[in-house]
Amino acid sequence: MSLTPVPALRARGLTKTFGEGALAVTAVHQVDLEVARGEVALLMGPSGSGKTTLLSMLGGMLRPTNGTVEVDGIDLTRARERDLPRLRARQFGFVFQDFNLLGALSAQENVELACNLAGVTGARAHARARELLDRFGLGERLRFLPAQMSGGEQQRVAIARALANNPPVLLADEPTANLDSKIGHEVARLLRALAHDEGRSVLMVSHDTRLEEVADRVLWLEDGALKDLERMATDPVCGMAVARDAGPHFQHAGTTWRFCSPACRDDFAADPTRFARRAAPTA
Amino acid sequence: MRAVPLARHNLFQDRRRAALSVSGLAVALLLVLVLNGIFAGAIRQVTAYLRNAPADVVISQRGVRTMHMSASALPGDALRAARRVRGVAGADAIRYTSATLHGREGSQLAYVIGYDVRTDRGGPWNLVSGHTPRTGEIVVDEVAADNLGVRIGGPVEVLGRQFTVAGISRGGTSITNTTAFLPTADFAAIRGPALSYVLVRAERGTSPRVLAARLERQIPGVTVQTKEEFVHEEGSIVRDMSADLMQIMSFIAFLIALAVIALTLFTATLAKLREYAVVKALGASAWRLGRTVVAQAVWSVGLALVLAVVLAFLVGAALAAFTPNVRVAIEPSSVTRTALAAVAAGAVGALVPLRRVIRLDPATAFKR
Repeated sequence: MSLTPVPALRARGLTKTFGEGALAVTAVHQVDLEVARGEVALLMGPSGSGKTTLLSMLGGMLRPTNGTVEVDGIDLTRARERDLPRLRARQFGFVFQDFNLLGALSAQENVELACNLAGVTGARAHARARELLDRFGLGERLRFLPAQMSGGEQQRVAIARALANNPPVLLADEPTANLDSKIGHEVARLLRALAHDEGRSVLMVSHDTRLEEVADRVLWLEDGALKDLERMATDPVCGMAVARDAGPHFQHAGTTWRFCSPACRDDFAADPTRFARRAAPTA
Repeated sequence: MRAVPLARHNLFQDRRRAALSVSGLAVALLLVLVLNGIFAGAIRQVTAYLRNAPADVVISQRGVRTMHMSASALPGDALRAARRVRGVAGADAIRYTSATLHGREGSQLAYVIGYDVRTDRGGPWNLVSGHTPRTGEIVVDEVAADNLGVRIGGPVEVLGRQFTVAGISRGGTSITNTTAFLPTADFAAIRGPALSYVLVRAERGTSPRVLAARLERQIPGVTVQTKEEFVHEEGSIVRDMSADLMQIMSFIAFLIALAVIALTLFTATLAKLREYAVVKALGASAWRLGRTVVAQAVWSVGLALVLAVVLAFLVGAALAAFTPNVRVAIEPSSVTRTALAAVAAGAVGALVPLRRVIRLDPATAFKR
């Protein structure tokens, strides 16, 4: 499916400041972001960069200090507090890092519950849950509790749950973090298919660089602000994206290498050829 | 339309914990039910003679409204005067006092009733063995007979004179005393000729209340009550004597129930707080999550109440088997009061968990 220029998810000048006065901390600063229908966007960044705060605001769970979030043309920031749960239940599908399935409910009930929250109950919810779980190869696991399923199965149930309300936007927080590489790759391909084949907008937040393979676009969040990846380099030691023109650096064989931290720089300096062999110079 | 029963699944996911919680709550409610049951049983037992007496109306000395902790001496012509009043089908006098029965193996406080053995009215209402007493004979209750160590033909001393047990009756022993029946002539020979109470039967179609008022107008120096009024007054004495104790015990049991339900709901909610955040993130309103906590309270209280009622009947049966003078009467009004108290405990116990889930930040679903 080809991308369309109409964004399903759009943020403008999104800012979140916690605390006031001298104690104020700005976790997200002036973020502009669009995710088109059928697009997979990957949001990366170091720990503490504001990814979770940004995701919470985009998902209508946290009020921004400034800026707007629109989903399918609805401005979440102007919605009344009491309307937000209904908007979340109808506009978003959420996939969490730890799967976050409800332990007392079977696979089918986990999906049915999301249907219930979207206003679908009884036999229709039952059928919808079965259909989604069948689709993800879990037709034999309908009555299994989360504790009785593997990590990959649980994440597929979580994705089925995220689709229960047929949402235009999927927000996935570290969707492959607790999965081995094979299962993680399957989940990543599944999320891409949901975007490309069904026209949903998928925004993934992750540290997992393998997800870059399935992403149409990679966004880098650092210190609460989106950075232009074109102007980023890769730390040859840890693989993180780092600024091309700032931070710790090291000259080796006539090339300038950039690092996320002095520790990575020191590791590199101890044996430059070991790291330089497998990475391109940054400047 | 049916929705996924999250409250029930969450509450019973850990069945052992749920069973312990429900059992703890049930025991607290059981305490209230059994205390009330013993209390109600005692009132039934204390009023058993009157409830079974052949009377619609009871005449006593003016100002005397009970048998328990009372003495009544009627004017000499009260019985004949009563029989002459319009609407009276019949009247029988009894003599009454409280005294101690002495047997071979023990003593027991008793209502001693002298009645007319020729008419057999006002005597034992459930004679299970033996016969109506003749001169020098007595009928004692089966529980008292066991306690005193006597059988039919055995000796019992009362009011300073020895009697021979002629019969054994049933249903006349309470937690505090028993009932013994003598020929009225024997009673009079010991305590004098005064009559204590007159048991009046109303003619068909005559209202006991109207008849009581008529009797009181026409016979000087007496108080007249319907049987129901007399029974109520008799019960009130037991109630008044035990009310403070009952209230204290019931309040303590209520506090225990409150603590158990509050702890149950709090731990059940706390253990699932992250999951509730997920449900909230998925689109559940605070109201919906609140309903989940309330549903858990309803389940806990409902199951505990059912269990407590069943256990109360079992405890009642066990007590009846091992201590026959203690009767546990589980009355619908007692179950209703206990249920209301349990609901109140559930409502109060749910407040803190409700506050937690209502204020829960859905964004915590993203927290590691």
